Amino acid sequence: MRSTANAKASLCIGNAIAEMSKVADFVESFGVTHRLPSAAVNDMNLCLDELLNNTITYGYADDVAHSIAVSLTVERGRLVAELADDARPFDPRRSRFRPRAGGRGRRRIGKLGLRFVNALMDNVDYLRSDDYNLVRLEKMLQPAAPAGAAAGEAGSGSATEPG
Amino acid sequence: MKIAEEQAGGITVVAIDGRIDSNTAKSLEEKLTGLFKSGRNRVIVDCKQLAYITSAGLRVLLLAAKLADKSQGKLALCSMSVEVRRVFDLGEMSDLFAIYPSREEGLAKLA
Repeated sequence: MRSTANAKASLCIGNAIAEMSKVADFVESFGVTHRLPSAAVNDMNLCLDELLNNTITYGYADDVAHSIAVSLTVERGRLVAELADDARPFDPRRSRFRPRAGGRGRRRIGKLGLRFVNALMDNVDYLRSDDYNLVRLEKMLQPAAPAGAAAGEAGSGSATEPG
Repeated sequence: MKIAEEQAGGITVVAIDGRIDSNTAKSLEEKLTGLFKSGRNRVIVDCKQLAYITSAGLRVLLLAAKLADKSQGKLALCSMSVEVRRVFDLGEMSDLFAIYPSREEGLAKLA
């Protein structure tokens, strides 16, 4: 990982699903520029996708265009993302995913994304201030694995069959 | 995200390169739905080059698995990284899919 003192970047998008690819590209580019471990960058991107999708899909009661601000920093060995939006109040730490027992026919996806956010991030903070949701995500940066040591390269794991 | 399609015997291999997220999940849904509806109902999704998958992508795979069941077909996944597998585990989805360590093993099982 490269020295990341003063590493900071920000982006504003509109409240449309089509805008979200800008954020994914932005996070990926930030990771490449600062030579961050791809696993941490991917986890951050996954969680931002879940939160932004939730905000854009459910957060606004009107049809007016809104802006959502995304900033990235590296602080004390952590990749930090901050989101600011003027959607209805929503604390992502409070949602609980409860999978339904049974097979594929009964399985549901709702709130699953928020489980990912709370499980994959090392810290999630939320504040409602001046009619804005302010969400802060922190992901610890581990040193990148040596070449060839990535778990997926060897096709790791054993086969599983649907239950 | 790029989607490549190959035929191996009577099995269709769909290889994903990149991310499956809110923006790209729709393309994957169209691809998999199209395969099952056209009768090509033995499908392996190769995840070797998959960077990550969000809940939007999991929803698409679940939908495809249900289509496979309805058409007496099969859907399998293969070559997941541990990071991608962790997302399936967190979502308690791993037991809902046939998941194989390699494409070769998946092809052998679906043959």
